[in-house]
Amino acid sequence: MSKKVKKRLITILLSVLVLLIATLLITINLRDNIIYFYSPSELQETTINKRNIIRVGGLVKDGSYKYNDKTKIYSFVITDNSNEVNVSFVGIIPNLFAENKGVVVEGLAIDNVNFTALKVLAKHDENYMPPEVIEALKQEGQWQEE
Amino acid sequence: MTIGNFGNLLMLICLLASFTQLLYLLPKKIDIDYRVLSRAPFFASLLAFTLLIYIFVSSDFNYQLVVNNSHSEKPLIYKIAGAWGNHEGSLLLWILVLTIFNFIFSYSKIKHVDFKKNVMAFQSLMIFGFTLFLLFTSNPFLETEITVNEGLGLNPVLQDLLLAIHPPILYVGYVGYSLVLSFAVGGMISNKVDREWAEWLHPWVLIAWIFLTLGIGLGSFWAYYELGWGGYWFWDPVENASLMPWLAGTALFHCVIILKKKNILQSWTILLSILTFSLSLIGTFLVRSGILNSVHTFASDPARGLFILIFLAIILIISFTLYAFRGPALDNKNEMNLVSKESGILANNWLLLSTLFVVFLGTLYPLGTDLFLQKSISVGPKYYILSLLPITILLLLAMIVGPSAKWQNDKILNIILSINKLFILSLAIIFGFSIYFAELQLTQITLLTLCLTLIFISIKNGLRVNQDYTIIKSSLGQSLAHIGFGLLILSVVGNATFAQEKIFQAKVNDTLILDDHVFKFNSVEQTEGKNFNAITATFYLMDNKTILDTFEPEIRVYSNPPTVTSETSIIRKFLADIYVVMNIPENSDFVNVRIHIKPLISFIWLSVILMVVGGISAIVFRVKLTR
Repeated sequence: MSKKVKKRLITILLSVLVLLIATLLITINLRDNIIYFYSPSELQETTINKRNIIRVGGLVKDGSYKYNDKTKIYSFVITDNSNEVNVSFVGIIPNLFAENKGVVVEGLAIDNVNFTALKVLAKHDENYMPPEVIEALKQEGQWQEE
Repeated sequence: MTIGNFGNLLMLICLLASFTQLLYLLPKKIDIDYRVLSRAPFFASLLAFTLLIYIFVSSDFNYQLVVNNSHSEKPLIYKIAGAWGNHEGSLLLWILVLTIFNFIFSYSKIKHVDFKKNVMAFQSLMIFGFTLFLLFTSNPFLETEITVNEGLGLNPVLQDLLLAIHPPILYVGYVGYSLVLSFAVGGMISNKVDREWAEWLHPWVLIAWIFLTLGIGLGSFWAYYELGWGGYWFWDPVENASLMPWLAGTALFHCVIILKKKNILQSWTILLSILTFSLSLIGTFLVRSGILNSVHTFASDPARGLFILIFLAIILIISFTLYAFRGPALDNKNEMNLVSKESGILANNWLLLSTLFVVFLGTLYPLGTDLFLQKSISVGPKYYILSLLPITILLLLAMIVGPSAKWQNDKILNIILSINKLFILSLAIIFGFSIYFAELQLTQITLLTLCLTLIFISIKNGLRVNQDYTIIKSSLGQSLAHIGFGLLILSVVGNATFAQEKIFQAKVNDTLILDDHVFKFNSVEQTEGKNFNAITATFYLMDNKTILDTFEPEIRVYSNPPTVTSETSIIRKFLADIYVVMNIPENSDFVNVRIHIKPLISFIWLSVILMVVGGISAIVFRVKLTR
């Protein structure tokens, strides 16, 4: 092997190595920062990892939205009309939050039916339904096309 | 003839006229003046677009698009903006911009007629494809089947002056890269990818970049004050969709500079041209198809995404087939030295593409799992921050070292000598800051020091003079844009480090305290706007008994369509913004108030302006090749 070819070979091998390591790091990082979405029914069947941030979505159950003046905690129930999740939240509830409307919350599951929300995701308009919520309702056979 | 029929006729003319241009791609030459017909699509689509604006302004509810997106009581400016605030209208705008580029290019003074014809023919192919798309799937001039007297209105979040001009600017950026792709294809067909080719391409690639930069900046500015979340960038798929072509386009114009100067990297430049416009198309596809679950998804339809995908496939097949035959032969066998300006630029290329890879993966991965595993996921901002941190550090380093190196060959020692003083100065400033004001962590110190060094070095490079003590204008653009980038990262890091936020549940006359700021909640009133009712609260920023500033955040209730929005109240100070937003929970006797102190936000906007001005001066003062 001539000196030039050798030099080029080393350069190529080194760059491949660097690329591989970078890709590996990025992929691991991606895996660690994925936020999974669950419908209330899916949450029932999942083994809960209390440290993972997840999203839960569905409809806000009629009559379930409450505010505790002393603890300053909002609570409401998310339902896909088959199963329910109790959600508690401290912070600002978005303007468009309402009972019987779709909602997505992000936070930590305490167990299969209780959830601490860190964010209640704001949506742009009243008729907007998050695609995951539609999907979750469809899976439970609860979705009606308007 | 109704306006709609006339509009359709115009688009048909656009379709046919652009089709005739395709004949130039045939090997046999056709002997008519190629420029005449190439201008027809421009006039046709300009007139069609004017008609579309006219039916919006006159609230002509015979048209489905006006019914769906407008309302007679809407302010005039939003009636006009309503014309492109939807899929059909924005597609017409897209076509118009495609033809504008072709039109202006037809006047360029390029003497290589064969090349020029090929560029225009390929550009016409794209005009043809998109016009076909418009006529068959998304006709803006579709008439209503039943009589309608009133429109449904435009989403109030979109009723905003900035958002009215944001899409056209962004589109000029996206579509500007179509001409760059046409350059690449035309260059390959005519076997003309050399220094001269790079010189012709140089202004175009910068124009697209300037508009894309400005468009992204405006979008971010809008999201900051309109969405009311206190952030300026959310790593939202739609934002990422505009960032991806920006990253590729930035790598591209740096390559064009090397090609123009050193006549190397031909095939790489061609590849980047193809990549950049493909990403523009993917961006459009992602936004328009509605397959992304984004907070930004306003108007979307899955069926339409398919067309853009097919179109993208055709473009890619044509470009890559050509590339397979012509690409490798394009390259000069000039070797590159490791320590030189060109290898610095190449390093910057790889780092930009790594950033692109991170963004691409984060944006498309959730899509993949949704399609193939039927599992909805989203990717948290932490992924982007952690992955991009090391890349940004290396990028800053490359930007500090690269411009200080000489073309062709340099010595490492020389480079170190030229930057070490400014580096030490920056390090001292950041250390001093960390000791006397606020303690910083190692990553923050690293990033901030590099940013500051970059800014200093770029200022120094920008102030270089000729022998007669006039500033060398050709490097002014680079210098300004690099100062802008350094300032951007500096502000982003500073903002992330020192931002404060607190949520209050407040009643009138309450005092709210955040850090050393004292706010007094003065009043709540009902007010009436042009097409909404509002609840306006008044907060005073107090210094003992004196009122320093007044904040008036609002909650607006729109009726067409029925929507509630929170309007932020922001006071911009030199070093930090104070940002107040509120809402009122149902059945409560208090309001929720969120107050943010957002440091260095103004500098983020300033850095975008610097990059844009840098781009403009890089066009104006670009170096002419000596022949």
